[in-house]
Amino acid sequence: MSDSGPTPDQRLTLARLADVLVAEGLGMPAASAVGVADGLLDRCLDAAPALAEPLLALLDEAPADDLDVFVRGLAAGRPDDFAILTTTVVGAYYLSAEVRELIGYPGQQPSPLSAAAEPEYFEMLERVYDRHPGYRECP
Amino acid sequence: MMTQRRQSDAVIVGAGASGAVAAARLAAAGFEVVCLEQGDWTGPADYMSDRPEAELAWVERWSPDPNVRRGPADYPLTGDADVRPVMYNGVGGGLVQWAAMWQPLLASDFRVRTLDGVSDDWPIGWSDLAGPYSRVAREMSVSGLGGDPALPELDPYPNPPIPIGRIGMAAARGMDHLGWHWWPGANAIASRRHRSLQACQRRGTCMLGCPENAKATPSLTHWPAALAAGARLVTGARVAQIPLDERGRARGAVYVDRDGVERLEPAQVVILAANAVGTARLLLLSASPRFPDGLANSSGLVGRRLMQHPYRTVAAVCEDPLDSWQGPWGQSIYSLEFAETHPDRDFVRGAKWMVMPHGGPMFAVAEYQEAHSHEGFEALWGPSFHRAAAEVFGHAFTWGIQAEDLPEDHNRVVLDPAVCDSSGLPAAQIEYTVSDNTRRMLDFNVARAVEAAEAAGAVSTYTRDIWPTGIGHVLGTTRMGDDRQGSVVDRWCRAHDVANLYMIDGGVFVTGGSANPTATIMANARRVVDHMIGARASQEVPS
Ligand SMILES: Cc1cc2nc3c(=O)[nH]c(=O)nc-3n(C[C@H](O)[C@H](O)[C@H](O)COP(=O)(O)OP(=O)(O)OC[C@H]3O[C@@H](n4cnc5c(N)ncnc54)[C@H](O)[C@@H]3O)c2cc1C
Ligand code: SF4
Repeated sequence: MSDSGPTPDQRLTLARLADVLVAEGLGMPAASAVGVADGLLDRCLDAAPALAEPLLALLDEAPADDLDVFVRGLAAGRPDDFAILTTTVVGAYYLSAEVRELIGYPGQQPSPLSAAAEPEYFEMLERVYDRHPGYRECP
Repeated sequence: MMTQRRQSDAVIVGAGASGAVAAARLAAAGFEVVCLEQGDWTGPADYMSDRPEAELAWVERWSPDPNVRRGPADYPLTGDADVRPVMYNGVGGGLVQWAAMWQPLLASDFRVRTLDGVSDDWPIGWSDLAGPYSRVAREMSVSGLGGDPALPELDPYPNPPIPIGRIGMAAARGMDHLGWHWWPGANAIASRRHRSLQACQRRGTCMLGCPENAKATPSLTHWPAALAAGARLVTGARVAQIPLDERGRARGAVYVDRDGVERLEPAQVVILAANAVGTARLLLLSASPRFPDGLANSSGLVGRRLMQHPYRTVAAVCEDPLDSWQGPWGQSIYSLEFAETHPDRDFVRGAKWMVMPHGGPMFAVAEYQEAHSHEGFEALWGPSFHRAAAEVFGHAFTWGIQAEDLPEDHNRVVLDPAVCDSSGLPAAQIEYTVSDNTRRMLDFNVARAVEAAEAAGAVSTYTRDIWPTGIGHVLGTTRMGDDRQGSVVDRWCRAHDVANLYMIDGGVFVTGGSANPTATIMANARRVVDHMIGARASQEVPS
């Protein structure tokens, strides 16, 4: 990535490509609507800098029109490039606070261990013990 | 000219799981010990696990695949293997990134030839490791519940088991319904404050470095004590060769330091703990006129019989919320129902299953897409993209299924003829094909795990094929045995060919079992090193 990061044109292209991959649907916003090509892209590339160079090359290569065809072409015949694009778009999408809230994801937050959700645990374990023939004896 | 230091009692190559056990033990017993590690320290400042971007760490910096991560200490793994190993190169070795699942071998794993007529028996048995298993479990602050009837009796684990969570309860109900074996998982993750570890806070980023210091890793559990007892750990030291003296004994280790300077670290005893790939590679790099096919390789077995536990998964999608991004990302419960040979099945030996969370949304969606890739673009992208998260996220658990792959001579580590690491040493080329026995074993187990998921109330399931990158289990390339023609090291892990050369990593496994290997690697290292200490005390100095 150059020091200044992706250019406005590259961001615009990414926003359009991203919407081919992650469109609005099932109550979820499209990728561009949550800023996948803006601040979230910068966070994504900061976390995984090796994505930047091949991503920007792809964005420069993308045609002005028929982005749908371009993305499908990557999916069908260029798995490595497709992986660069999808990793960036999906990675950035799930950094969005709005998206996280919609899918009910608080992030990898700390929460103390608790056995509260395990009422019949000991009864079930007892049954494992009772029915098991014992380990295989060895000479 | 090569610079050289004063001779120490022992030089250890590799500061990972087995090297850390050896260094701490030998230093405590008064040995002058030096450990040479090609990588560096990794600590909380390097973790990305407490940032919202944690999942993106997998993509590059914290990828378990050294070919992706390409850190300064990583050496390339080349070759067109069905399963390519993954590993971490640095202080702590694989235990920087491991999931901390703690699983002793089965008693039968040591007697595969006698019981099932395949491969070979180990020269040692379960009882030889029972004491060391308990000792290293304490050092690693393992949390677990003893009494599993599928295993011989062990001392109680030092900490109570980690609650199995909603994912474990859902899976256990399925196993209960079918009458199949399951047991709460033991993990080297502290369920309460213990020794150097804090209590787990369920962040679920265990394989990206635990920000709570709740997961056992040698930089917390072993290295502080080893260094305090006088061990010297040299990082950025890539060992290039084990040179011999005129009597055919190892002189020490030659390494390349960070500045590219070659140095000799002389020692009375050389202990290789560079994992089954790194140790085999180093022995092959140390070929000499005396050992033209690689050091200590008169058997021809150095590098051969690589085992990796080929791995598949079954995801169970349930109606109820399971909070399945929550950790720990060790094993919630495990099953040994299909771990033993059964006469009605068309394969020998078996697989271990373990229940795990599905991680954050990026990971969960990627797994789903991988498993559904045959459905095509339309089904996975565009407006359909959200299907994965809507169906799966927070509602699924994974049965991970690791197969016992039998040792086969053609599965091996060799030196790459062209590709080198950053020190100019040949890369490790991996030749590994998944056998028909393993494929049948995995197909059978995946089909059973789908049944188990359905019995757990799963509304849908999806499966993944054999992972092309491994799960960090590398075993078998310097196997132990009593017969010098058929093994590289003896039962005390001393090279048959070189009297003062030891190997203590997973390379010495005769067969791989289906258990996650680290409990056994560390217990065996402890057994061997305790023997060395005992031998010195009784003046039978093994050097
Ligand atoms: C992502 C991941 C998850 C895992 N999860 C589990 C789990 O849940 N349970 C389990 O039992 N196991 C797990 N493992 C496997 C576990 O990490 C290994 O079994 C264990 O680390 C092997 O110990 P070792 O001592 O053989 O070698 P390692 O721990 O791999 O250490 C070898 C060390 O040697 C160094 N080295 C190699 N060559 C040289 C050289 N030429 N010069 C100097 N230094 C050198 C390396 O840099 C490395 O630090 C996992 C592994 C990975 C990668
Ligand atoms: S789940 Fe526990 S062990 Fe894993 S990262 Fe979180 S606190 Fe650490």
